[in-house]
Amino acid sequence: MTVTTAPEAALGVLPRADGSAKYSHAGYTVTASVNGPIEAQRRDEHPYEAHVDVIVRPAAGVGSTRERHLESILQSSLTQIILVKNFPRSLIQIVLQVEDTPENDYVNTKLVQASLNFAIMPALFQTAVLALLSAGVPMRATATATAVAIVPQDGTKTSVVDPSPRDAEIAQSVHVLAFTSHDELLLAESEGDFTVKEWDDVYETAKQVCCRPVPAKEGMEMVLDDEHTNGPDLRHFLRSTMEQKVASDLHWK
Amino acid sequence: MCTSTVCNTKKQNLFNPPRRPHPPHLIPSSTSKPLRLGPGLRHLPPSDIIPTVAGQLITNPQKNSMWVEYNNNRYLPTPGDLILAQITRSGPDLYYCSLSPHTPLATLPHLSFESATKKTRPQLSPGSLVYARVVLANKHMDPEIECVSSSTGKSDGLGELKGGMVFDVSLQFARRLLMSKSREEGKVEVLELLGEEGLAFEIAVGRNGRVWVGGEDLKAVVVVGRALRGADEGGLGVEGQRKLVRGLVRGMK
Repeated sequence: MTVTTAPEAALGVLPRADGSAKYSHAGYTVTASVNGPIEAQRRDEHPYEAHVDVIVRPAAGVGSTRERHLESILQSSLTQIILVKNFPRSLIQIVLQVEDTPENDYVNTKLVQASLNFAIMPALFQTAVLALLSAGVPMRATATATAVAIVPQDGTKTSVVDPSPRDAEIAQSVHVLAFTSHDELLLAESEGDFTVKEWDDVYETAKQVCCRPVPAKEGMEMVLDDEHTNGPDLRHFLRSTMEQKVASDLHWK
Repeated sequence: MCTSTVCNTKKQNLFNPPRRPHPPHLIPSSTSKPLRLGPGLRHLPPSDIIPTVAGQLITNPQKNSMWVEYNNNRYLPTPGDLILAQITRSGPDLYYCSLSPHTPLATLPHLSFESATKKTRPQLSPGSLVYARVVLANKHMDPEIECVSSSTGKSDGLGELKGGMVFDVSLQFARRLLMSKSREEGKVEVLELLGEEGLAFEIAVGRNGRVWVGGEDLKAVVVVGRALRGADEGGLGVEGQRKLVRGLVRGMK
């Protein structure tokens, strides 16, 4: 039941925000707005660096402890890539509104209180990075994120990139990994039971999705590459999205 | 780099994802002048120059400088910038002015006006608008602005703006308008075209994305503002600007 769609993104969808992005991938659609650097409230002020404030709003209902948990994970990893030392005493506010989540065909779900899980993390993270780029917030590096689930299937275990809700439900463990454009591991969160060997496999799979080298020349090589790799090429996607944005901004050059 | 009046810039169609060291052949090399880095670039000692925003790398071999041209919506004060500031309140010996929403207020000393003394200083009420220059922009302090040239003691056109209207444009469009050869390099002709149509108006462009338009004829003021905003939001080329101006002027009569 995997929703196999290529990632899609639009930048600058909210005219009044400093930066915004709408991103949809694997059935999830998230819109983000970034404002900053703006004046921080007295209690958030830090004398030497900017405070990064992440707010996650679910598609239905109000956020609860789960969203606070995702916010804290996103906040700590985004603080790593934003050059927070450039803007002391200020605030960079990132609001992530979940618009759409894939439905689980096996369970009759009534969407009253959306319960977010790790499978949505890559979408949230990627949208936040795109919105930060759109806002022109100075960053150390860009980053790409993916989720990998280890699903038992006919007695063996297979790793599934971008798991569907069904996969996430029956999975033994779900992992979220993010890598910077430098191939450095930025974020690694896991839930469930897994062995070190399994984590290593997950790491390799995620690295392949997030850190595929940009092809020097498009053409035959790319076509061949696609056959023996799974998952979308996120880094290339991020790059081409930004190239489009820069080209339309600098149409007068 | 704070002014955008740069002649003979060599440009590369290069997209810079953050954290990708520039290839050495793109860096201008001159032995007589020190290399100057503009917005969007970061120097990592000893010898790495790394972009922090997505944009186009522009180098100027004459001035031995390089910077990244990009568009963002949040104004960051830089010394020497001409800006339009709105007075919010007056302190014992300075005014507090807003340069952009939700950012710390800039200070404008009461004596930073032409031939101002303790007794003969301009009385500005909250809400009035001044055209000023940024003197001090430091990441740890609130910005300071002035309405007088500290070396000559002359106002050079700076000071309070009476009447007229303010229009918001993008920061990039404001920079293009401020270019000394805005027609050739910035590809923006709206003002010249409006002048050719016989409209009489005054204009003050602030790098914080605000344009003040004044004049006797209110209709002309509105037409100028609409032409500027239309050219900015539509991303119009020279031909498109010509068409827009013609349409607006015809509608005015």
